[in-house]
Amino acid sequence: MEDKIVEVNFGPQHPSTHGVLRIKVKLDGEIIVDAQPVIGYLHRNAEKLSEMGGYPKGMIYMDRLDYVAALNMELGYVMSVEQLMDVQVPERALWIRMMMVELNRIASHLIWLGTHGLDMGMLTPFFYCFSEREKILRIFDEITGSRLLYNYFAVGGVYSDITPKSVEMIKEWYGNFYKRLEEIQSIFAKSYIYVQRTKNVGKLSAEDVLSYGITGPMQRASGMKRDVRKDNPYLFYDKINFDVPTRGEGDVYARFLVRIEEMRQSASIVNQVVGKIPQGDFYNKKYSKPMLVRLKATGESYVPTESPKGEFGVHLIGDGSSIPYRVRIRSPSFANLSSIPTMLKGYKIADLTASVSSIDPVFGEVDR
Amino acid sequence: MIPVESESSTKNGIKIVYVAKENLLAFLTEKKEQGFDTLLMITGVDYRDHLEVLYHLLSSKTNERLIVKTKTNEEVESVTSLWKGANWHEREAWDLLGIKFLNHPNLTRILLPEGWVGHPLRKDYPMDKKQYVNLADDGKDRVSFEKSEGY
Repeated sequence: MEDKIVEVNFGPQHPSTHGVLRIKVKLDGEIIVDAQPVIGYLHRNAEKLSEMGGYPKGMIYMDRLDYVAALNMELGYVMSVEQLMDVQVPERALWIRMMMVELNRIASHLIWLGTHGLDMGMLTPFFYCFSEREKILRIFDEITGSRLLYNYFAVGGVYSDITPKSVEMIKEWYGNFYKRLEEIQSIFAKSYIYVQRTKNVGKLSAEDVLSYGITGPMQRASGMKRDVRKDNPYLFYDKINFDVPTRGEGDVYARFLVRIEEMRQSASIVNQVVGKIPQGDFYNKKYSKPMLVRLKATGESYVPTESPKGEFGVHLIGDGSSIPYRVRIRSPSFANLSSIPTMLKGYKIADLTASVSSIDPVFGEVDR
Repeated sequence: MIPVESESSTKNGIKIVYVAKENLLAFLTEKKEQGFDTLLMITGVDYRDHLEVLYHLLSSKTNERLIVKTKTNEEVESVTSLWKGANWHEREAWDLLGIKFLNHPNLTRILLPEGWVGHPLRKDYPMDKKQYVNLADDGKDRVSFEKSEGY
């Protein structure tokens, strides 16, 4: 047999691409020599669509970016719009927002954990994760009226108040969550096969992380203690106790541990916030909905927020009319995904699914 | 020190600086050495008579943020030599806004299929004109204005 480089197409239709990702892989035997991702299969140009209607109308496109963490996407947009227009938000609405995004972060990490397990050939944790996620979605259903795409945050507040029943549901969920998470973690961490397949796989050094502009859990797994919630506190994150978990290894297993610990921290945040929500209005009564559509704005704003995948923000430029002149979405998955050539090079083809799924790409957000 | 043309800030206090197009690469190199080690994104804005390119920088040690802007007609120097992550951001800016990055290793479309006519985020892009992608077996898809077998 002579030495030969074989080119293999991975995706775009493949169960472990988490959507529609295609990777052109060049193989020397089993070893990956080169891997070039091809994206754009889910492109809708949300930026252009948002530039065609009033400021509040852009919200529905933000929902559809990272559709498993829609509230985190809405938060980035709504805070940017409020900064641009100097809209004041009542405290109660801010606390409610904080609780909702942390719940959604857990839901997003759970869906990642379940599908990551599937990629590694484990079917059991998928059901455990989805049954836990289902409880969170029922809480969202009770508060917002929808299960996946909420359109819940409005400029100046939120659309509906939290109900006593939903608080009960959150307390009940919180009571069992740690035990369930421990169970799920042990399914992974006690599996010899899982640990062997993820340790020392898909390594990224801290220099690579900086060079690629990687943020979020992937950055923290490579030994950098960065979190927008701590570094540039927004909402009331400076009034809440939580840790930023970091690991030094930078491999797939480290990312798994960081995300598990993040879920624990988020659950603790939710628990603290539920006890702190003050009484009062849940939206700014000065602004009615028809009025918001006509609000005009000039200047620029960019508010960084920590979405489950990394730093998310919307750069808005207003030209004095009621329609934004430029909406630019900084999507964390896009930057994280661009590290694939470095991350896969030199590893075996069997490690590809582990590495790709550890990025946690969601293609609504990568392709926008 | 590379001179700055003008300064302003966003509504929430992030500093914006304008730099002349010729000085851009030198300015960004200088900023990187001063600690702005993360490039968050590269994007552009179409102002009808000229284009603007924006660079969002972040210092991972001091949490400082900086937005560097430069005015251009179409071409600007690539910064892929400074940050590897600039590769995809520049390809996206070329794809959607038609900004040419000189010395870029692989300046091809990234989100839209190769052969697409026009750059959608330009203000004069015709939104009512549909383009169809015809999938080819050899991987080289065709884009045309007629539907035929395309999507």
